[in-house]
Amino acid sequence: MRSAKPRPKTVSRRHVLAAGLATAALATPNLVQAARPVLFGLTPVFLDSDIQLIADLERYLSRQIGRPVQLVKRRTYQEITSLLVANQLDAAWICGFPFVQNREQLRLVAVPLYKQAPLYRAYIVTRAGRDSDSIAALRGDIHAFSDPDSNSGFLATRSLLAGLRESPATFFSRTFFTFGHRNVIRAVASGLAHSGSVDGYVWDVMREIEPALVSGTRIQHVSEPMGFPPIAAARGVDPALRTAIRDALVGMPNDPNGRMILGMLRLDGFVAGDSSLFDGIAEHWKRAQEFG
Amino acid sequence: MTAVFHPQRWPLAIRAPLIVALLMIGIAAAMSKVVLDRLARDQAQSFRQLTGAYLDGLSTALHSPVIRQEPWEAFDVLDRARHKYSGVNPRIVLVILPNDTILAALDPATYPVGVKAPDKAHDNRGDPDLADPGGRVWVHRMLREGGKQIGRIAAEIDISNIQQVRQETFWTLLGVNGALTLLFAGLGWLVVHRTLRPLLRLSSYLARAGDGRLEPIPERKLPPPDTEAGKAYRRYNAAALAISEREALLHRLADQERRALLGRYASAIAHEVNNPLGGLFNAVRMIQRHGDDPERRERAATLLERGLTGIRNIVRASLVVWRGDSDDRNLTSADIDDLRFLIESEAHRRELALVWNNALGEGVRVPAQAFRQLALNLALNACAASPPGTQVVFDVRSDEAAVLLSVSDQGPGLPDEARASLQTPGIRDERATTGLGLWIVSRILEEQSATLAIHGPPGTAITIRIPHAEPGLQRAA
Repeated sequence: MRSAKPRPKTVSRRHVLAAGLATAALATPNLVQAARPVLFGLTPVFLDSDIQLIADLERYLSRQIGRPVQLVKRRTYQEITSLLVANQLDAAWICGFPFVQNREQLRLVAVPLYKQAPLYRAYIVTRAGRDSDSIAALRGDIHAFSDPDSNSGFLATRSLLAGLRESPATFFSRTFFTFGHRNVIRAVASGLAHSGSVDGYVWDVMREIEPALVSGTRIQHVSEPMGFPPIAAARGVDPALRTAIRDALVGMPNDPNGRMILGMLRLDGFVAGDSSLFDGIAEHWKRAQEFG
Repeated sequence: MTAVFHPQRWPLAIRAPLIVALLMIGIAAAMSKVVLDRLARDQAQSFRQLTGAYLDGLSTALHSPVIRQEPWEAFDVLDRARHKYSGVNPRIVLVILPNDTILAALDPATYPVGVKAPDKAHDNRGDPDLADPGGRVWVHRMLREGGKQIGRIAAEIDISNIQQVRQETFWTLLGVNGALTLLFAGLGWLVVHRTLRPLLRLSSYLARAGDGRLEPIPERKLPPPDTEAGKAYRRYNAAALAISEREALLHRLADQERRALLGRYASAIAHEVNNPLGGLFNAVRMIQRHGDDPERRERAATLLERGLTGIRNIVRASLVVWRGDSDDRNLTSADIDDLRFLIESEAHRRELALVWNNALGEGVRVPAQAFRQLALNLALNACAASPPGTQVVFDVRSDEAAVLLSVSDQGPGLPDEARASLQTPGIRDERATTGLGLWIVSRILEEQSATLAIHGPPGTAITIRIPHAEPGLQRAA
């Protein structure tokens, strides 16, 4: 299946030379594959502006896997998920919600450890200083969501409202997507939105990195723990590559560069994880779907 | 006080710097206006370019979010542009939909999504006024798609920095021009003062000359003779010397006149004394020859007494007239009567009829010595001018304000030079042939603030009015 995949990436002269030499010497397809960069997708689940982090991660994975790794970024979750499901990417760090949605087409590679657990929470935040004591007080708000395919940035709130026999359209006066958890915080802190749905991990980390921005918001609601956004592989990806990627991720705490990356990500490490971690998200999806 | 309001009477040392200062103020005001106008034009152009670039950038980036009516994306554009146009300094930026509601604002907390745009954000289609006292102006940009309006951008720009530059430029111009004006005015004053200093010194010497103290400028203070000031100073010194010599001459002449007058009086007195002397000797001889005859003796004694009384009167009058300058008494009627003896004898000698009216009242405050000299001079002049057989009238009277003296004769009339000498105090025509008598009269008239009226010919009638001195004050005699 992989051989049928069109590769839009430009193949460099060095790659052509390496492929030619390999073919002449051994004539094994695996080695030809070995010269192709591994395409690793990143959703805007995290700090999408951190160029240094992406470069470091790319370098670390390349060295650990033994193949060049190219990180692929897109504006929305859906674009990455679609590329992954369509085998246009080898693996991607996606949200739990698209993983649940496409569980059949995807394979779990690893789950990050945050505060020593592969779990995180969804927050509903409002402007700092706002006098609201419950979710009910947010009725009529202009509400900022992160992404339609984000669990914490959309599904969790949608599910919560379903429990109140409401939908975002009926509960809020107006909603919009910002396509980034940081953007949700910006929208709420600036007053563009009265409240917003945001990834709890992102909010926590940003409070440390950009305290001035995050101090403009206040947590109104915290969800139950849910499976942390996982790294998933396309179903057709070579299991050896999947394992190599998992090993590279899980082995991060044992490598100085890996520890540095984990430090930047404020993560403790990665575990192999189990898809049952995301049953809670599947439950939210189901509830949201049932209501409307 | 009135000179204060007449600049043409101000000293040149003040007027010249003032004119320089006024000229400088005029030039500075014109230059400042040109600079400020140019600055305003440049600032307006720069403002149009900057805000134009800002709105161009925003409108390009906002085009898609406005078509899709995406508040977040529109806000994201505004927020990211916030720090990229540091020269523009927008305070309020609104993205407004055609239904006049806000899609996004730079400050969404104040201008929330979906509410009606404030009235002040309406496009007034005019050029922004950079002198707006609020320090903020609105700029607008329409957003169109296929010729149809899809929204607009309204931005309130803080122009306080532009206005501050204007203010600073204005105050700098004011300060520099003010300092230059003061500097040039000061220099003008200095130059004019230095230029005028010799003239002012000469003027002060001349002013002292007006007070009767005509003193030459000392040699060490004289500017070089080849300068204008040097020439002027030397001319002044020459004039001062000539006037001093003339004053001395006049004093000598006055003294001579006094002595001449004294001679005439002495002659008159001798004549008066001589007249009764024959009778007295006759009386003495009558007593010697007929002393035993009581009737003749008594007649001779009466004759002796009358003659001696006449002599005594003459002597007494002379003593009064020549008592000297120490006499500062006020005039009394007795002083007029004493004069009569002196004038009467002269009138008789010249065969004139003297009409004597003495109606001087009480409480007169006119110095006796000055009045006697005045009256005696005028009366003797009248006698001298009168042909024999004519009449001289001497009349003195007083009221509450003044003493009036009138002397008239039937002579040929007062010559012009004598008239001029009387009417122009202090000036004596060298060609005058009337002696110093009338000139002395004019000096006394001036000292006593007296007024003079001359009538005739035919004849001459001189009327003098001498006002009473202020109570407690005694005019110099």
